[in-house]
Amino acid sequence: MLNFAARQTGRFALGLLGAMVLAAAISAIAAPRAPGLGPFLQAAGLRLWAFVQFDFGKSAISGFAAIDELGRRVPATLALVLAGGGVALIVGAPLGLLFGAGPIRRAAAPLMQIVTAAPVFCAGLALAYGAVHLLHWPVSVNAAAAASEPIFSRSPQALEFAALPVLTVGLAGAAAVQLALRRAATESARETFRAGLKHMGLSALEIEWVYAVPQVIAGLLASAGEIVLALLSAAVVAEWVFHRAGAADLFVKSVALQDWNMTALILFIFAGLAFLADFLGRVGAYALVNEGKT
Amino acid sequence: MSDLGTTSDTAPMLRAALRLIGWSGLGLIAVAVALSDFLAHAPAGAAGIGPMLAAPSSAYPLGTDLLGRDVLSETLHGLSVTVGHALVAALVAIAVGGLLGAVAARLPRLAGLTLRGTMGVLAAIPALLLAILAIGLSARLYAPLAAGLAAAPLAFVRAYDRVEGQSGSTYAEYARATGIAVATLLRRDLTYEFRGTLATVAARALAAVTIILSTVSFLGFGATPPARDLGLMIAAAKANFFHAWWAGAFPAFALIVLILCARLAAGLDEGERP
Repeated sequence: MLNFAARQTGRFALGLLGAMVLAAAISAIAAPRAPGLGPFLQAAGLRLWAFVQFDFGKSAISGFAAIDELGRRVPATLALVLAGGGVALIVGAPLGLLFGAGPIRRAAAPLMQIVTAAPVFCAGLALAYGAVHLLHWPVSVNAAAAASEPIFSRSPQALEFAALPVLTVGLAGAAAVQLALRRAATESARETFRAGLKHMGLSALEIEWVYAVPQVIAGLLASAGEIVLALLSAAVVAEWVFHRAGAADLFVKSVALQDWNMTALILFIFAGLAFLADFLGRVGAYALVNEGKT
Repeated sequence: MSDLGTTSDTAPMLRAALRLIGWSGLGLIAVAVALSDFLAHAPAGAAGIGPMLAAPSSAYPLGTDLLGRDVLSETLHGLSVTVGHALVAALVAIAVGGLLGAVAARLPRLAGLTLRGTMGVLAAIPALLLAILAIGLSARLYAPLAAGLAAAPLAFVRAYDRVEGQSGSTYAEYARATGIAVATLLRRDLTYEFRGTLATVAARALAAVTIILSTVSFLGFGATPPARDLGLMIAAAKANFFHAWWAGAFPAFALIVLILCARLAAGLDEGERP
């Protein structure tokens, strides 16, 4: 376990370092320098050194320190991703477990292809249309009415504003969750230990519960990085469609207005989140499977 | 979670039928794209063809949009632009992702690992954000190239890991022992990597890059008028979406059908990522 954890820690650290180098290179675009590759690399090196000292430069749009600007926006995106992640687990886990089983799996494969063929922005607009016409919610996809409403709030109106972006992100995450579970279930179904355990006299339920379920959950944990990537990607679209002032929305605006310091910092944070989820998921999966064996 | 052995031979037959449906759908889309100028009632971007935001009727089967453009004609032209851009992007994704990944696995270990690490970092960033960044650094004109490059890291990592896994195989050991040149071994790997699967890989890449391309266009980073793609059409319809759904819904339907056909053609199995 220690060896595995150490390897994964090294992988995580290298990943973060790589993401920081990439962010420094993007940030160097904004740095004043002479033209040519040499000056660019020099500027990137200087930006990397500044990053190590937690100096992420200033936002070209607001003039504030990029880290402060991001600090104002990140909580909204994290809340959206967390709430969306909750929806993803609630919707995706039962679907994945149900569709991961025997004959249903065969029928579910094309069905899931159809459901997941809709891009996130199409799903978001369809949800908005349904909310307006069926539930008569005060949804707008053309005004910043909801921008200041927090995701976690007790106000009923705030809930109505927050529900659609959370559902949009959640459904995109649910597709990733059910896929991870079905993939793990497929791999588990191919394991040779099943026949051996059956000969040892274990019932099918015991085999599933004691051996297969931990493997499937470990498969889900091992895909945590991919699931977080799906959630972050959906958050970009959801914040844009529903006018929520989060970090993902800020990324789109930063690129459009060529605010490279801000762009670099957001990319670094997002890559860091994906690496962290991947690291924790892999270690958790390893611990779970090994715990089951001992 | 039960065993796979209980399934009959219907599964491969069903899969083959779905693939056939997918390829047939892509074929029909290709015909519609090739004949789009002939099938469309109006040229691309022609405003004032009908009244503003007219609902679907016999005169305008899919209605008109805010500028009085015929939605059927615009959807056909938009589909044509989307498919054209997606084909370029898919080629880039296959070349830079799958092909380069397989080649990198046969490079000297340090060079291969450096490339694998770099692509691993890029694969940890959502492809949508990578595409937006690449367009921001270049121009909207290069959106197909950017979408292909954004989809490439994941394909690169998969191809690298698959070919790298074969390095320890018996045939590779024999090949090295008998002094077969690295280039010959690489050619063999590439043949095995893509022989018989190129169509599947292409369909899979087409589905992935179509989603990226339409999303970046929806966000305002992709196609530019008058060559509007489906993503840009849906973005333009957003302003009146709640009372004139047809201007956005029909382009969205065309987009979903395109992605679905590509996915079915790729024969994506359970537990497989698009």
